[in-house]
Amino acid sequence: MAGMKTASGDYIDSSWELRVFVGEEDPEAQSVTLRVTGESHIGGVLLKIVEEINRKQDWSDHAIWWEQKRRWLLQTHWTLDKYGILADARLFFGPQHRPVILRLPNRCALRLRASFSKPLFQSVAAICRLLSIRHPEELSLLRAPEKKEKKKKEKEPEEEIYDLTKVVLAGGMAPALYRGMPAHFSDSEQTEACYRMLSRPQPPPDPLLLQRLPRPGSLADKTQLHSRWLDSSRCLMQQNIKAGDTLWLRFKYYSFFDLDPKTDPVRLTQLYEQARWDLLLEEIDCTEEEMMVFAALQYHINKLSQSGAMGEPASPDQGLDDLDAALSNLEVKLEGSAPTDVLDSLTTIPELKDYLRIFRPRKLTLKGYRQHWVVFKETTLSYYKSQEEAPGDPIQQLNLKGCEVVPEVNVSGQKFCIKLLVPSPEGMSEIYLRCQDEQQYAHWMAGCRLAAKGRTMADSSYASEVQAILAFLNLQRAGGGGGSGSQPQGSDASAESLNPHGLVAPRFQRKFKAKQLTPRILEAHQNVAQLSLSEAQLRFIQAWQSLPDFGISYVMVRFKGSRKDEILGIANNRLIRIDLAMGDVVKTWRFSNMRQWNVNWDIRQVAIEFDEHINVAFSCVSASCRIVHEYIGGYIFLSTRERARGEELDEDLFLQLTGGHEAL
Amino acid sequence: MDDSGEDIDQMFSTLLGEMDLLTQSLGVDTLPPPEPKPASAEFNYTVGFKDLNESLNALEDQDLDALMADLVADIREAEQRTIQTQKEPAQHQHPSAPLEASSYGGAASADYGMPTARTVSQYENDLPPPPADPMLDLPPPPPPPEPLSPKEGERESKKDKGRRERKERKRARTPQLVVKVHMHDNSTKSLMVDERQLARDVLDNLFEKTHCDYNIDWCLYEIYPELQIERFLEDHENVVEVLSDWTRDTENKVLFLEKEEKYDVFKNPQNFYLDNKGKKEGKETSEKINAKNKESLLEESFCGTSIIVPELEGALYLKEDGKKSWKRRYFLLRASGIYYVPKGKTKTSRDLACFIQFANVNIYYGSQCKMKYKAPTDHCFVLKHPQIQKESQYIKYLCCDDARTLNQWVMGIRIAKYGRTLYDNYQLAVARAGLASRWTKLGTNTAKPAQRAPGPSQPNGGIPQATASISTVHQEAQRSVETTKDKKPAPSSHDPGPPQGGHLRKSVLPPPPPIRRSSDTGGSPSLPPKAPGVKTDCNDRKGDRDDSLLDGHAEHLPSHDKYLSNQLLPNIELLDFQKYKALG
Repeated sequence: MAGMKTASGDYIDSSWELRVFVGEEDPEAQSVTLRVTGESHIGGVLLKIVEEINRKQDWSDHAIWWEQKRRWLLQTHWTLDKYGILADARLFFGPQHRPVILRLPNRCALRLRASFSKPLFQSVAAICRLLSIRHPEELSLLRAPEKKEKKKKEKEPEEEIYDLTKVVLAGGMAPALYRGMPAHFSDSEQTEACYRMLSRPQPPPDPLLLQRLPRPGSLADKTQLHSRWLDSSRCLMQQNIKAGDTLWLRFKYYSFFDLDPKTDPVRLTQLYEQARWDLLLEEIDCTEEEMMVFAALQYHINKLSQSGAMGEPASPDQGLDDLDAALSNLEVKLEGSAPTDVLDSLTTIPELKDYLRIFRPRKLTLKGYRQHWVVFKETTLSYYKSQEEAPGDPIQQLNLKGCEVVPEVNVSGQKFCIKLLVPSPEGMSEIYLRCQDEQQYAHWMAGCRLAAKGRTMADSSYASEVQAILAFLNLQRAGGGGGSGSQPQGSDASAESLNPHGLVAPRFQRKFKAKQLTPRILEAHQNVAQLSLSEAQLRFIQAWQSLPDFGISYVMVRFKGSRKDEILGIANNRLIRIDLAMGDVVKTWRFSNMRQWNVNWDIRQVAIEFDEHINVAFSCVSASCRIVHEYIGGYIFLSTRERARGEELDEDLFLQLTGGHEAL
Repeated sequence: MDDSGEDIDQMFSTLLGEMDLLTQSLGVDTLPPPEPKPASAEFNYTVGFKDLNESLNALEDQDLDALMADLVADIREAEQRTIQTQKEPAQHQHPSAPLEASSYGGAASADYGMPTARTVSQYENDLPPPPADPMLDLPPPPPPPEPLSPKEGERESKKDKGRRERKERKRARTPQLVVKVHMHDNSTKSLMVDERQLARDVLDNLFEKTHCDYNIDWCLYEIYPELQIERFLEDHENVVEVLSDWTRDTENKVLFLEKEEKYDVFKNPQNFYLDNKGKKEGKETSEKINAKNKESLLEESFCGTSIIVPELEGALYLKEDGKKSWKRRYFLLRASGIYYVPKGKTKTSRDLACFIQFANVNIYYGSQCKMKYKAPTDHCFVLKHPQIQKESQYIKYLCCDDARTLNQWVMGIRIAKYGRTLYDNYQLAVARAGLASRWTKLGTNTAKPAQRAPGPSQPNGGIPQATASISTVHQEAQRSVETTKDKKPAPSSHDPGPPQGGHLRKSVLPPPPPIRRSSDTGGSPSLPPKAPGVKTDCNDRKGDRDDSLLDGHAEHLPSHDKYLSNQLLPNIELLDFQKYKALG
């Protein structure tokens, strides 16, 4: 229609020329010029552009970006007038989906196509669908931290970037499973490898690398991370993200809904990885005892994933295992929940007997280890002067049920002791068993551990327990021998040559030598050795959630009427006012008492009203106030989720709660 | 499949209960004292044996009657279970099924192929199991399948064999203990507790025997007079296991009494989770919390992926090992244990030193520690390994400034130690309480209310899964209604049983309707106080409650919806940005 001309070539309608650049925001981009009127629809303009370019290509993903107004022209039925576009508008005709590099919670890099035109919330949801992570509302994207320009000194090893840019997901339904993975991953070798990376835990990092990585030294440092969150209601393009940029994908809201190991392998693994890095990089503090449990779980998880025992969801035996589980479940039900009993092994009672050296610490004696003939049967340990006297009465008999078993091992010193704290009505009696070698130690140790739980060596877990102990002793040999340990990087670090320093935060690396660490991890390991991979991951996540500082996002704020900066901690159920210097909690407000909150975007101030007319106002220092606003709104949104609704998301509600003025 | 056993149990305990009542009213000692001795001696051969003779001496005649009844019931149960265990494989392992059915005769084959609860129970009613009179074969019959099993085992797969044998052995030697329980009025009651019974089962048993209300505050309470410590048995704890830690000549006692501290955290979560660390203002606000907030607080703390342990910290006195001096230290409770702040350090996580972890210790209240140990106050708690019975350096004594702090610590430690189980126990207790009030209500229709309580034996009473066990409770209730109907067809003008039971089976939550109903008409004393799942609007609508239960529930749904949306969007009016825009 537009572009009627007289014979002399003058335009007689109200049409004008519109210049559109083709491609992503590139000033030297090819451009086409169209003749349009104010009444032209965007759809028509798009058609014209494609005709002008005259190139055979799939243009379906392309749309027009208006640079000055920083918006996409996505309403194809709107006219140019309605958008208010004049001839001076700088328009770019480019793809809506562009490649970005995602840094996943497990620190791997992944290239994929993300929507640059939809609100980030939808864009993240699409990414999560591609990666098969349920509940995308819990995740969001962060800008990558700016790199310090020291590249010349540190030549970073080329790291593998997984590529999912070619994978296209059919819209609508959740992707079907095929060969134990979502169907779209089973297309090629590369994508299968990518799924493995997503759904399996990564090996522990090199301890040296761990020491080099930046760690927050103070509460103020911890606020840095949270200033980089992107805005959920605006698209990536509007937030100055360019194609090929690196973004971090992280769990943002610490309120994990319906965590199910069966359906969520990727989500569980990535959550585990985020928890692990949180602990290793000291984003969250824990005590020494807790760290040992975390280390033991990491060791266990790594061992399982390396040995390929991982295949839980895909393994062909799954049906059988389920059946077994169901049967044993049934059995438990039928039998009542009686403790597994001692007489289980009526048929054959496995027992251990050997000469061991025994030491019983007593006051005012200087006696050391003495050789005895020791018989270990069921849960009872008896010792005699010699083998010949064994049929008679033992010197002492100890029932190990409920006792504490502490390994005292030094592989390089060839010291294999088992310390037993055996409870009796009078108190605990302490006894040390000294074994000759690893084999002997592993068998006796496994027996003691089972006996402590009231089980005998007839228990099916006995053999695996022995193996686990031997494997752990190997670990100590490797770790302890290498001193501070210059370990081979990345995937070469097999379970055999694992350095225990890679399992703990750097401050414990400094505090303990590897050989001191190993027995402690070993001790903690005995409580988790029987867990399956997903159970262990879940346990890790639960222990992480049980830490007092779990799930608090820190921002630096200044409260109204206060002269100094303070920290505001945002958790899933409360806001916490924290002293910046001391780290003490000053005051806690719970969301359940909150009446309303308001944001004044101009003076960057958030005002919150709680029950009983408690009013709080603060301005945001470290992060923009929209990040604080989004956190609060996001947590309120997450608390509205219900099991019955499944995975449907009320996106409007989310945007209403987190959006701010553009959203309305 | 357990149904059949329970049904029979049910009937028998009813029967025996009636007999019991009769004998009591006649005042005649029908049974000579020594008679139960040989019988029970055969049963109890591990722990029970030594305690039995002792406690038998102390038995009163009444107790003996009760004991006798228990014994008989138990024998019956054992027989029943024999039959059951034979039936079970028949239904699961099809290949071996015909074989077994034939080897065990008609009972199994009759049942084979119709595994529904309904048919089973009918079958039970029609055909009383072969051993006719329980009184006759008081010495427990040597379990018949025992000699059979090795022969059969050869034909079965290894796994089946193992499982089978274990089961049989277990049944063959279910050791039982005669436990003397001290009541709140200083009287004692002796009852049989078998190896599998949990504190919950024993409590139920006691409820039935004492005819008290089924309040959730009732608990078994373990007292060590020598150490002057005491604690609740948690509902999921195995009673025999706990008692087997006692020494032969122990003075320890088990009490049956009401303690409101038992589930205080679920009744008043704000006192534990919202307490502002000793500041007085915390108290005031916490009392104002409404039921809705309480519920959301509980849900938040106990229903997530991991439970939340209350944040507790403060200065406590610690008794020094082996001395009578007390040292004041700053302690913190974490899910992983109790920690203290070492000298010159801060209370950040990295500086904390571990004081104790909970895996191997139980938590006790100390009583009168001021006298005995020169404690600064009498508000002490004690941590010790359950097997330690004498004074020892391995027992840790801690002393709080006041009772409130003490309760917070004890509860906090229980939460850290038992976790989600504690909440499950509570829900089960609430369900029981609700059920009980329902029975009292039903009792007005027929003759004897209390006799119809569930039998003392609860083969799978220890399921830790709250929802599952709650639904079984209701099914039980439903069944008990049915059995009474069969026995004495009451002139039931309105019998809410069948439709309601059918409905309950589908619903997972402890449904409020029966409770509410009974509170109207029955006037039962034992309403569960503010149970989660019992919606707060129940009370408001009491007045016009006359319609049928199903209607009541249907009517309930919309309000439930409203409730949810109210709760989950805590009064937040959406932001008025326009206002700010105008201002700015």
